[in-house]
Amino acid sequence: MTQEQMLEQIVKQVMSSMGTVAASAPSGSKLTDADYPIGEKRPELLKTPTGIPFSELTVEKMIAGELGTDDMRITPETLELQAQVAESVKRDAFARNLRRAAELIAVPDARLLEIYNLLRPYRCTKAELYAIADELENKYGAKVNAAFVKEAADVYEVRKRLKGNN
Amino acid sequence: MKSKRFEALAARPVNQDGFVKEWPEVGLIAMNSPGDPVPSLVIKDGIVVELDGKARKDFDMLDLFIANYAIRLEKAEQYMKMDSLEIARMLCDINVGRAEVVDVTTSITPAKITEVLGKMTVLEMMMSMTKMRAREIPSNQCHVTNVKDNMVQIAADAAEAALRGFDEQETTVGIVRYAPFNALAIMVGSNSARPGVLTQCAVEEATELNLGMRGYTAYAETISVYGTEQVFMDGDDTPWSKAFLASCYASRGLKMRFTSGTGSEVQMGYSEGKSMLYLESRCLYVTKGAGVQGTQNGSVSCIGVPAGVPGGIRAVLAENLIGACLDLEVASSNDQTFTHSDLRRVARSLMQMVPGTDFICSGYGAVPNYDNMFAGSNWDAEDFDDWNVIQRDLKIDGGLNPITEEAGVAARAKGARAIQAIFKELGLPEITDKEVEAATYAHGSKDMPDRDVVADLKAAEDMVARGVTGVDFVKALDRAGFSDVAASIFGLLKQRVSGDYLHTSAILTADFKVISAVNYKNRYTGPQTGYVISDERWEQIKNIPAEIDPANY
Repeated sequence: MTQEQMLEQIVKQVMSSMGTVAASAPSGSKLTDADYPIGEKRPELLKTPTGIPFSELTVEKMIAGELGTDDMRITPETLELQAQVAESVKRDAFARNLRRAAELIAVPDARLLEIYNLLRPYRCTKAELYAIADELENKYGAKVNAAFVKEAADVYEVRKRLKGNN
Repeated sequence: MKSKRFEALAARPVNQDGFVKEWPEVGLIAMNSPGDPVPSLVIKDGIVVELDGKARKDFDMLDLFIANYAIRLEKAEQYMKMDSLEIARMLCDINVGRAEVVDVTTSITPAKITEVLGKMTVLEMMMSMTKMRAREIPSNQCHVTNVKDNMVQIAADAAEAALRGFDEQETTVGIVRYAPFNALAIMVGSNSARPGVLTQCAVEEATELNLGMRGYTAYAETISVYGTEQVFMDGDDTPWSKAFLASCYASRGLKMRFTSGTGSEVQMGYSEGKSMLYLESRCLYVTKGAGVQGTQNGSVSCIGVPAGVPGGIRAVLAENLIGACLDLEVASSNDQTFTHSDLRRVARSLMQMVPGTDFICSGYGAVPNYDNMFAGSNWDAEDFDDWNVIQRDLKIDGGLNPITEEAGVAARAKGARAIQAIFKELGLPEITDKEVEAATYAHGSKDMPDRDVVADLKAAEDMVARGVTGVDFVKALDRAGFSDVAASIFGLLKQRVSGDYLHTSAILTADFKVISAVNYKNRYTGPQTGYVISDERWEQIKNIPAEIDPANY
């Protein structure tokens, strides 16, 4: 055993004696189906967007007014963990959807519904769709979705599904 | 002279059904159309340049989406070289595990999988479905609706349906503006009888998402996709808009699946001369490519079309099986009414009921046929005992269980009282004790007093405008003394924080444990493997109230 390995083992032992910390995944390693359901097996990894640990979410707190709608939402970090679980069972397309979704958390409900409607056929010009892509990327940091919307715009152009084509 | 025999036959219900000869040019053919493309796949530098006989420059929108997103390319060329008959044999061979088959079937093209299924009998497909179903344990879903949009009746029917075993429940509306009340009623009613029942309200796409965001529903399913570009456009969507919508749901921590089915393209007049199964295969690849965890398919609301042509019901099973082969959750239809013949409707459903699917019906009409706002169902409230007896006869798990009248009435009463209480707490139009009593003992909306529809609609709109959400439902139920129902609704809201139930084929137990195709994988490899009915479950299935106990005879 090298010194580094020994150190790592000692740290692990110390951490595990402290309780919850040791259960968290070493940085860099990904979750798998063995960690699922995360809410049951690895609740310490989950938080609300408002920073409340998952295990502290109780009906009593909601009734007391300590938990509101804004607390009961998923975070980008949680969706990333679920995407890792999906990949461990070879559901790559599903994992990609979860990662696109992680980016969309930042978009407000009303705007998200609008963007969905604008992606429907014959709603937008190519420039309008590109502007939505820019908004997604620059305002919300939604890079994957921005590329996805641009791809849609290009396809709609070729297939004549832009505003005015109908 | 007229034959008395043929006169008797002509009077049989089956002869009121419509049948039509195959007509491949317009797509009136279930499977194996001469117009179906020959499977092919050419990949260059990681990009699909040919798909099922079409070069990339000729791709339509669906081809492009499928080529870019739906096929796992690593081993695709290798698996495309396999003889389709060999893949068909793998599918129904108990010695080949599900994971091994999925590796192949998620790496081939729509035309290839259609060709594979074209080589299988329904019996072989049923054997295959037993193995290929994503979740180890089969389940069932129901419809709870009524022609009056009466929310008290919805709550009572949902409560009874939950007691009968449905893990998912779906409502819709007669009048669109009733949607918030119907969604609230099915959620509160079902969860008053069995915590953890997932509920949805089928309405227009954007409205449906909005209800989910506000905590009025726990999942969505009415996200339709189609097998030709023109029909997709007529459905007012594209693969990109639908995939974006799928991500919207996941971004709010909401479970969802897409919907498609054989016959929709023929019905809408743009089949491009392809078989119904091939076009449905394209729908399922779009679903897969969008990264959606599951599908509701099996012709669904177009069942009259495949049911009218030779081999149509075989194609319906085949499309369910393609869904499972693509590693999707399959809610396998068995919903819309398609025949006057009781014999036909049972034969159609045995295809899914015997092997078991993720949701055998999607859904079973847990109300009288006349109250089903999804154009009736193949199975209605009047058929509950028939379903239970068929489970008992065959020793199969169709997801339901018999209940006593006493328990059913008690559940209905609680569901009705819970919606009465939450309406009072939220300042919504009064639900009287008389209505609660009527819903408790009702069979259908004919037994329900009329409500002031204008006042209801105004209040429903106002409730949404006020920004009332699931959190308010929890508080209101608790204030009204329904703390257990409050805890159940809270449990549903909590799911959207962890996202565990976003995964393939997820359902919740009564203590909010997630059961999905991740932690309950189907590992069937022949007799006594995979899902085996436990002694406890068998007791539940076999003890129907009508049976005579020899000990007390």
